[in-house]
Amino acid sequence: MPTPLPAITRRRLIISIGLLVISPLALADGPWLRLEAASNIVGDTQPNTAGLHLDLPHVSEDGSAVPLGLSFDGTLGEDDYLTDIHLFATGNPNPEIAVFHLTPMGGLPEISTRVRLNETQEVIAVARSHRGETFATSREVRITVSGCLMRGNDDQPAALSYPRVSAPSHLAPGEAGEIRTLINHPMETGLREGPNGNTLPRHIIEHFRVTLAGETAFEAELHRSISANPYLRFHLTPTQGGELVIEWQDDSGESAIHRTAIDVG
Amino acid sequence: MSQDNGRSGLTRRQLIQGMGAASTLPLLGGVAPFAIGNQSAGRVVVIGGGFGGATAAKYLKRANPAIDVTMVEPAEVFYTCPFSNLFLGGLRELNAIAHGYDELRGRYGVKVIHAMAEDVDPDGHRVSLSNSDTLDYDRLVLSPGIDIRWDALEGYDEAAAEKAPHSWKAGPQTELLKRQLEGMDDGGTFVMVAPENPFRCPPGPYERASMVAHYFTQHKPNAKVLILDAKDNFSKQGLFTAGWEQLYGDRIEWVGLSNDGRVTRVDANNLEVETEFGTRHQADVLNVIPPQKAGWIADRAGVTDDSGWVPVKAETFESQRVNDIHVVGDATVATPMPKSGFCANAQAKVVAAAIAATLEGSTAPDPYWANTCYSLIGPEYGISVAGVYRVQDGVIASVEGAGGLSPTDAPEATRALEAEYAVGWYNAICQDTWGTEA
Ligand SMILES: Cc1cc2nc3c(=O)[nH]c(=O)nc-3n(C[C@H](O)[C@H](O)[C@H](O)COP(=O)(O)OP(=O)(O)OC[C@H]3O[C@@H](n4cnc5c(N)ncnc54)[C@H](O)[C@@H]3O)c2cc1C
Repeated sequence: MPTPLPAITRRRLIISIGLLVISPLALADGPWLRLEAASNIVGDTQPNTAGLHLDLPHVSEDGSAVPLGLSFDGTLGEDDYLTDIHLFATGNPNPEIAVFHLTPMGGLPEISTRVRLNETQEVIAVARSHRGETFATSREVRITVSGCLMRGNDDQPAALSYPRVSAPSHLAPGEAGEIRTLINHPMETGLREGPNGNTLPRHIIEHFRVTLAGETAFEAELHRSISANPYLRFHLTPTQGGELVIEWQDDSGESAIHRTAIDVG
Repeated sequence: MSQDNGRSGLTRRQLIQGMGAASTLPLLGGVAPFAIGNQSAGRVVVIGGGFGGATAAKYLKRANPAIDVTMVEPAEVFYTCPFSNLFLGGLRELNAIAHGYDELRGRYGVKVIHAMAEDVDPDGHRVSLSNSDTLDYDRLVLSPGIDIRWDALEGYDEAAAEKAPHSWKAGPQTELLKRQLEGMDDGGTFVMVAPENPFRCPPGPYERASMVAHYFTQHKPNAKVLILDAKDNFSKQGLFTAGWEQLYGDRIEWVGLSNDGRVTRVDANNLEVETEFGTRHQADVLNVIPPQKAGWIADRAGVTDDSGWVPVKAETFESQRVNDIHVVGDATVATPMPKSGFCANAQAKVVAAAIAATLEGSTAPDPYWANTCYSLIGPEYGISVAGVYRVQDGVIASVEGAGGLSPTDAPEATRALEAEYAVGWYNAICQDTWGTEA
C-alpha cells in the first residue's frame, strides 16, 4: 500500500540526514575521551568519527539483552584492515563489553551481539587498524522497563550447552560469509544476589576463538556486559577453505568446541 | 479487588480513580467556553477510528463541542484486537468484538468519513483522502495503529498472510485463523511465531496461545501449541507459565531466543518455518506475528524516525518532528507505556485536552496515565499487570510503587475474579471509546 514518499517528506528526510552528518564533527571530543579505558585505545591519535557505526535501538524495553550491531564503511589504505574493535557501556558497573580481534580474513567488518545495559547510557565503539588508524563512535540508548514486560523467573541453562553455529558450507573466493553462533551460558556477572541473599560467583565466557584451516580468523574477549547465552554474528572472507573450529572458553577453564567445514572455490 | 492482593502501593480502586482524574479534569476546564454563535473553535482531523482515534474524536467534542472534528476511518465496523483471542478460544462470537460509529456521529457530532487518508501535507495543513476529498486542519491527530513490516521476515508477505495469518489486526484475519483451527485434525500442531520488542500488545501472543490451548482441550484433545519466540523474556512470563502448567499440562511448548526460537524464514505454502540456526518446524496451523511499525500514513506525515515508530513529546503527544500533528496509540514510542488499547485511549484523552486547551489559548494540566493489561489463560483464569505513568525530566516514566502484577500464588477465586474484571474492563473501555456495548 505505501507508495513512494511525497516530496515534502523526502525533503524532511534529507534535512534530518543533514543533521546526522554534522554530528560526527560535534563528536570530535566524543565520550570516549571521558572513559579512560576507551581513550587508552585511541592513544594520542585523533580518531576518525566517520566510518564506524553502532546500531542500537533508541529505546529498549529489556536491558538484559539489547541487540547491538557494529559495521564499518570507512576508508582504509589498500592493504590495511581493522584489527580490533572495543565496545564500552559507560553506565555499567564494568564498562567493558567486548573486544573483537579481526584478521585480513575479516573482509566485511559487520558484527552483531546482544548486550546488557543497566540504565540509560552512552555506548561507545572504538576501532584500530593494522596501520594505526583509529575510529570512534557512540550512541545513546534509553532503557525503560515496560509495564507490560515484567519478567518471570528465568531458568538458567547449563553452561556451555548447545553450541549452535550457522555457517555457509561453500564460498566463492573473496565472498564474505556470514557466521552466526549461539551458546547457552548464564554469563553470571558476580554482582547479582542469588535467592538466599549471597552474591552469585562470577561465571562468564571470556574467550571466543575461530580458526579456519588452523589459522586464527576471528577472536573475541567477552566481559560481563555480554548478555546471557552469548550470540555472535560476524563475517569471514577466506581465500582458502578448510575446517572451521569455533571455541568458547569460560572462566572456570571449561570450553565447548564446534567443528564444521567451509569449502572455498 | 478490595482485598489485599499483593499489589504494592495503589489498590485497583485508587488506580481507577486516578484514571478518571486524568480523563475528566481537563474536561471540566473545557466545558464552558463555547465559541460565540456557531462559529468553529478550530478544525481537528483525526485519522483512524480505533482505540486512540475514536477516543480522541469523542473527547475533543466533549471538551468543546464547537471544535469541528472530522474522523477518517475506512471501516464501518471496527473489530477490536482485545478479546479477539477469546473469539479464537470459542468464548465469544465475532459480533461481540464489533463496534460502529453511530454514537460518535449522533451523540457527539463528530463527522465520520469512511475513507482512507492517503497523504498529509504538514506545511499546508491538509489531508487528502482516497475519495479525492481534502481536509484542512488546525491540528491533526494520527492514531493509525500498526502496519506489518512485510520486508522484515523472509517469505512472509501479504500473500503468505492468507495462508499463515498474523491476525494482529482483527477482522478477516482473525476469522481465517479461527477457520483454520476448526479445520485442523486432532493431533495437529498450532505453531505461533512471536516477534521481538517492540510490538502491539506485549502479552497478546501468550494470551492467544492460552486461548488456542483452551479450544484444543474442548475440541482437539491431542493437539499441541508450539511458540517460537524471538525473545528470551515476555510479558507476565512467570504467571503465564504457571497458568499453562496448571490448566494445560505440557500442551503448550515455548522456545525462546536462546534456544533457537527466532524464526528467520517462513514457507507459508508448506506451513513450515526455519529458525536462525536451521531448525525446521512443521505446522498444521501457522500463525506468524511479524515485526511491525507505525501505520504507513505516519511516514507520509513525516513523523516516524528510523525505527519505524513515532517519537512524541511526552506532555502533549505532539510529534517531535512536525508541528501541529499529535500521534497516539501503537504508532508512538511511549515506552514504558506498552502498545495497548488502554494506553491508546488514555493518550487520546490527554491529546484531546491539550488540543482543546491550545485552541482556546489556555494550557492543559499535567498529564498522567494508567494502564492495565488483562490476559485470560482460561475462561475463569485471569491475570493482569498494571502501571501508572507520569512525565519526568521530559520523558514518560513509570510511577514507582504504583501498579504491579497479579500475585504468583493466588487462589483460584482470585484468578476467577480477574477473569471477570477483564470482561468489565472490555465493556467499559469500548463504551468509553465508541459508546457501544458489545
Ligand atoms: C491479539 C491482541 C489482543 C489484544 N488485547 C489487548 C487487551 O486486552 N487490552 C489492551 O489494552 N490492548 C490489547 N491489544 C492492543 C490493542 O489492540 C492496540 O493497542 C490498540 O488497538 C491500539 O490502538 P490504536 O488506535 O493505536 O490502533 P487501532 O486500534 O488499530 O486503530 C487504528 C485505526 O486506524 C485506521 N487507519 C490506519 N491507517 C489509516 C489511514 N491511512 N486512513 C484512515 N484510517 C486509517 C485503521 O483502519 C484502524 O481502524 C491487543 C492486540 C492484539 C493484537
